Amino acid sequence: MPPPGERPRRRLPAFGGLSRLALLLPTLVITAVCFVIPLGLIAVYSFGTVNQVNFDVYFGWTTQNYHDFTSALYLHTLARSVFLSLSTTLSCAVLGFIFAYYISRQPPRAQQLLLVAVIVPFWTSFIVRTYAWVDLLQNLGPLDRFARTLGLHGHIDILYTPYSIAIGILYSYLPLMILPIYVSLERIEPALYDAAADLGATPFRQFRRVVLPHAVPGLIAGIIIVGVPALGEYVIPEILGGGKTLMAGNLLADQFLETGNYPFGSALAVSVMVVLMLLLFLLRRAQPAAEVQ
Amino acid sequence: MNIRRHPVAAPLSFLILLFMWVPLIVVGVNSFNTQTIMAGWGGFTTHWYSLAWHNQDVRTGLKTTLIIAVASSVLSLFVAVTGALWWRRASPKARAVYDGLIFARIILPEVVFATALFFLFLKIHFSLGLTAIVIGHTVWNSAYAAIIVQARMASLDPALEEAAADLGATPWRAFRRVTLSALMPAIIAAGLLAFTFSFDDVVTSVFLQGASNSPLPVVILGMIRFRITPEINAIGLLVMLFTVTIMSMAVIFYATAGSLGRAGRRGSMLDMYR
Repeated sequence: MPPPGERPRRRLPAFGGLSRLALLLPTLVITAVCFVIPLGLIAVYSFGTVNQVNFDVYFGWTTQNYHDFTSALYLHTLARSVFLSLSTTLSCAVLGFIFAYYISRQPPRAQQLLLVAVIVPFWTSFIVRTYAWVDLLQNLGPLDRFARTLGLHGHIDILYTPYSIAIGILYSYLPLMILPIYVSLERIEPALYDAAADLGATPFRQFRRVVLPHAVPGLIAGIIIVGVPALGEYVIPEILGGGKTLMAGNLLADQFLETGNYPFGSALAVSVMVVLMLLLFLLRRAQPAAEVQ
Repeated sequence: MNIRRHPVAAPLSFLILLFMWVPLIVVGVNSFNTQTIMAGWGGFTTHWYSLAWHNQDVRTGLKTTLIIAVASSVLSLFVAVTGALWWRRASPKARAVYDGLIFARIILPEVVFATALFFLFLKIHFSLGLTAIVIGHTVWNSAYAAIIVQARMASLDPALEEAAADLGATPWRAFRRVTLSALMPAIIAAGLLAFTFSFDDVVTSVFLQGASNSPLPVVILGMIRFRITPEINAIGLLVMLFTVTIMSMAVIFYATAGSLGRAGRRGSMLDMYR
């Protein structure tokens, strides 16, 4: 796009006759009416109350809903969600980094093949991918039998625990971590590695001074793309958590689909959003610092 | 694999690759497995496929999903293309808001957005069902579509359209023959991408389906909750093949859009996930 003013706009407005507002209208309806307003609505109603008999929602100025989930039960779920999404995001970052680094050091043809190998699992149906782990992790399943041949007594008992949820999240989100890290590592000129080696840098020092600084933007992008949705994950705990309410996403969904306590559900949704905005803000702050290096 | 050059990264990467592919292979293998508890290989069968084929819930689910996916991708494209046309003429500040809202629609956990829209529809007495699901899908699908269409729009030289106008084309004709045809590969790619995302969606559909027929992924979710059955593996393998085919088509369309050769193709494949 040339900067405005450089090229006279006399031709483009041929459409401008239809007025720019008309062009913006579809986007406006979809984002304002169906995205911003609903989010604003739950923000307002998170301070409301619900009639427990007929489920009518009243708007009132109460912070009761926010007090409610400081009760041990809910706080526990929220803490587990934060912990699960943090730990899976970190594991994702470590595995994603190793794999992205490995791809980036391959000849072009092999890079292409490996990228396809990453992307195809990512393309396959989300629900099927998650279900696959039920097959794999169930007692008497392949992993259980493998563990037994290694000499484990009894069963692995992983399915329907926080561990199976963590594995499911790690599995589903790993490609989302690998791709942005790869994109930033791919930019490193191979000559840079050679130069570092020629100047006597040990492999560890090469890694610290060449690879890591280049990887930071991709790492941050990956952490955002993985960590944010993981915190609100609903389907994976639903399938691999065995119907127990284990994460904030499920607790939130239950308030709307089962209990009908909309104000409390809204308060939960708002809290998740606030935590995420905080996270994004912190990561944004981290980004310029990384670029300076 | 060159273990000597990368003594740590090479073996670990091999394990990661295994981690990514074993679950898919297990689904594929078990879809032909006679053993119902899937504790081992019991013999070859296509029984699960015929069971899936005759399952009425699965059939209506598939039909519902296809209707929703087509409607939502068409709607998303309409939003994305008009949005991109507006974006060209917008001020930098307005663009920043527009781009920010695209980012927000993609990054916000779906469950938060879906409950919020569910609550709004409840408040304004908009009945839940197919239309509601289509609208819900369009909210995030149009954001993905917008990124792809916009990337292509940014590389489109306004001089082309000016030339068309100078040569006497009416505005509509210039738009159709120059702008739209230049955007076409991106539009097709974005449409296919939106189609698969909608085809695959669970969360938005669960909240907005109301009492109408469930789309296929929601049907599968119900089956999984109920019990483990190899029938799901059969459905799963078919769904996997279907979505991979569509996505490959999307990438091919997007890649042939630029005549950048191999390097360009790899870049564009990644662009879709940036």
